[in-house]
Amino acid sequence: MAKLFKSISEEYDTYGTISEQGEIVFGQVRGFKDIVDGRSKYAPKEFLISRNENILYLPKIEKKAVFGIRSCDLKGFYIMDRQIYGKDPFYTARRDNTLFINFVCREPCEGGFCSSFGGPVLEEYQIQVIPDGGKYLVMVSEEFEKYMKDFKVVENNEIEKFRKDFDNKMEKLPVEGIENRIKWNSKLWKEYASICISCGACNFSCPTCYCFDLYDREDERLREWDSCILAGFTSSSAGNNRPELDERLRQRFYHKYVYYKKSKDVYLCTGCNRCTEDCPVDIDIKEVITHDYSKE
Amino acid sequence: MMTLRKQEKYWGAIRQFFYNFFPYGSVGTITVCPYCGTGCQIVINEYGSSQHIIGYSLSPVNEGKLCIKGYSGLSYNFSKERLIKPMIREGDSFRNADWNEALNYSASRMREIISKYGPDSVAFQSSAKCTNEENYLMQKIARMAGTNNIDHCARSCHSPTALGLINTIGAGAATGSIGSLEDTRTFFIIGTNTTEQHPIIGAKILRERKKGKNLIVADPRKIQLSTSANVFLQFKPGSDIALLNSIMFVILKNNWQDNDFINSRTQGFEEFRKEIEKYPPEVTEEITGVNPSLVEEAAMMIAKERPAAIFYAMGITQHIHGTENVMDVSNLALITGNIGVRGSGIFPLRGQNNVQGSSDMGALSEFYPGYVRYDSDNVKKFEELWGKKMPRNRGLTLSEMFDAAADGKIKAIYLMGENPLITEASVSKVEEGINNLELFIVQDIFLTLTAAKAHVVFPAASSLEKEGTFTNTERRIQKISPIYKPPGEAKPDWWILKEFGKMLLGMEDYSSPEMIFDEIRKVIYNYSGASYDNIFPIGKQWPINKDFPEGTEIMHSKSFPIGRGKLIPVPFGYPAERADDDYRFIMTTGRNYYHWHSGTMTRRTDILERESPEPYVEINNDDAMMLKVRNGQVITLESRHGSIKIKARITDKIPSGIVFVPFHFVEARVNELVGENYDPISKIPEFKVVAVKVIP
Repeated sequence: MAKLFKSISEEYDTYGTISEQGEIVFGQVRGFKDIVDGRSKYAPKEFLISRNENILYLPKIEKKAVFGIRSCDLKGFYIMDRQIYGKDPFYTARRDNTLFINFVCREPCEGGFCSSFGGPVLEEYQIQVIPDGGKYLVMVSEEFEKYMKDFKVVENNEIEKFRKDFDNKMEKLPVEGIENRIKWNSKLWKEYASICISCGACNFSCPTCYCFDLYDREDERLREWDSCILAGFTSSSAGNNRPELDERLRQRFYHKYVYYKKSKDVYLCTGCNRCTEDCPVDIDIKEVITHDYSKE
Repeated sequence: MMTLRKQEKYWGAIRQFFYNFFPYGSVGTITVCPYCGTGCQIVINEYGSSQHIIGYSLSPVNEGKLCIKGYSGLSYNFSKERLIKPMIREGDSFRNADWNEALNYSASRMREIISKYGPDSVAFQSSAKCTNEENYLMQKIARMAGTNNIDHCARSCHSPTALGLINTIGAGAATGSIGSLEDTRTFFIIGTNTTEQHPIIGAKILRERKKGKNLIVADPRKIQLSTSANVFLQFKPGSDIALLNSIMFVILKNNWQDNDFINSRTQGFEEFRKEIEKYPPEVTEEITGVNPSLVEEAAMMIAKERPAAIFYAMGITQHIHGTENVMDVSNLALITGNIGVRGSGIFPLRGQNNVQGSSDMGALSEFYPGYVRYDSDNVKKFEELWGKKMPRNRGLTLSEMFDAAADGKIKAIYLMGENPLITEASVSKVEEGINNLELFIVQDIFLTLTAAKAHVVFPAASSLEKEGTFTNTERRIQKISPIYKPPGEAKPDWWILKEFGKMLLGMEDYSSPEMIFDEIRKVIYNYSGASYDNIFPIGKQWPINKDFPEGTEIMHSKSFPIGRGKLIPVPFGYPAERADDDYRFIMTTGRNYYHWHSGTMTRRTDILERESPEPYVEINNDDAMMLKVRNGQVITLESRHGSIKIKARITDKIPSGIVFVPFHFVEARVNELVGENYDPISKIPEFKVVAVKVIP
């Protein structure tokens, strides 16, 4: 891996997971040994979507390679590509110039349900790494094969075996058809609204949420990550057309499991469980999938 | 989150510099959220041009969670309205000055005033938004200058807590920790809208509630927590004592009290009992509006389903009976033995991020650092340490300072990080006082309504730009670290204060906040075991000293600092103002979820301002129908003291006869309506009960 890292670092600024006072975050790294093998505390969306930036000018985009992003977080970009790639010039430029080297988790994380959405070994990737006790199984898409010239090629049944093993360890949720089962008048929405404190964590932590707010400040036009849980989100002069919190919570789940599926043929969710982990009141998105709507 | 285009990232640059030599250099910085007293730890992580804000997972306070103010509330820091140069008044406007001139001018003017009128002609207003080090310095300057005229916004929020709890249990602070709530079986919430004002603590309570714990909510408004409560006591504003005494009446009538605890740990029970006998819930129902059976149910849970934790905030303190309210909360905890045990306790929820710390530091007119009373023998300790005779008279409180200024007795005020022209009661009187000053020095990060009236303005660094410590609502001393460079010539408050102290009094030079903290450790025994090294990263709870080297999670587990806890009979008295035929509504004031106090920070934070862009009054649906007021209609609110025009927001969250107005908005300063009614003990104004009329 050190060799692979080195050849990539000749073309890219290198970033990776590092530990900061016990918290795994992303930072610049100089060598492969600097990278901590662990799941970062957050999905590193800001490599492609700045938390806040002036959109009047496209800044200089540097070539970055990001080591150690987890499959669930990376998959978020492939899903949002369908909505914003080629349309949002900032996202597109950064997407084209960022190389993600995703690390596949060997063990299920607590609460995670990525296997329900095809994880953790992704079908779409740039360079995908399965750590295997000091060794690494590396899957490379065509574009990046040039980095792999000196490496041994193995039969891919090891990967199949890994997939199978992993599936045995992580229970799959009944995602299929949720877009038809979910109910508009479910009691869940009001239940969630009674405890939701509108913090926005579910949006900010989500690897697939891409919505932003636009506002002007002096000579700048800024956009900032936004949260659809807030009443001011997409509000017009007549106010928000979802004035109540339960309507906004429902909208979030419908967007993830109904609307995006129907318009883009994919769920807007990777099973990362980050929204649930970061939710201060333990609203569990898995319940939206597993809830028995037929009894309501 | 924020643009850094024009902000040179100096801390980032320093880190980059070190990084070049030490490749394991840090990229994330752990600091403390600048808003409420919960004191959530945030990690601001940066790389390249982007940034990520997360809650620190290892923090025992917030366990990696944040509310919207933590996530989206920091962009005020990069506002172009930040003050970047010291300014001196010239006629109706300001001219820029350099630091030397501005400091020299202020110090020499203050020296002239002191020599002409004496030290008690000057006053200092410190800030619960500033660090422990800064509060300590400001009170030291005041006292070295010879006056106890030092006070800060804790006066308007938790001065009754300091006075009430010091009186009854010997320490004006939360008795347990946020983490200890996992052991709580009953939560009693009175006068705190926790999910909006201390969202992460509110969320913690909701998570525990989900596990089947009891939740009792007492509030005039149907706050969010009330929808999850087992018992909701929707009582009338100002009837807290009648309600609390009734709860205790039921406990004593049924013999549910903890007799062992009462006998071994408290004093004054018999006399206390006599007072409580006057409050059967059937009698107090008329005062509180609460059904006796609900009182019974609540009493049973608090006494029988222990440990019980009691939470309160401004709903208890901002009354003319504020201190008595606090003492009655303490009575309830004492007779039920709900103190000193993990999961039980009294939790005054602190508003500002450092109210606990600024009070600990003695930025209060009646207390030297460590709550040494102005008239106690222990003041000698400070005289020895600081090498000067210290004033032994009681200083003026916040509101008294402005009154005294209006009367011409106070000639100079040095104010740091506060905006009393919005936040104080009876703001017109405050304005009169300020206009009468010979010297008004204001130190802030923005030109607030108040700063605009100053003679000298010092531009300060924000809490994301300086080093120091904050002490949160559970007594946790936490380190803050600079992430950004202050804009222009703005300087950290501690730097400004120590330079001013040098010029005014020849005080010693401090080279860093850590040097000030080391002095604090010598002065305050409860802080003596803390150091910048050992409180990083997750902080430690005071008392931290020889006896408790690792800090103290649960206080009063064996005894109280005053020996036995005092049970103090608290008779009910009506609020200063009551509804009558002319003023038919009771107005109560407070904050909303998105804004912070006078809005200096949050109203410059775009997402928060979008969520709550204008002032409003909440009014009950039935009342609105009766008055023929439509949602969004501008109405006039008039009290005996003033009037404002404001938009109506019709809701069923507020009961008939009561209206609620948040105080953040300069466009409609609700404090023009609040009269000069003060708690005689703590001098806190009665922000929570104002008789008003609604004129459509």
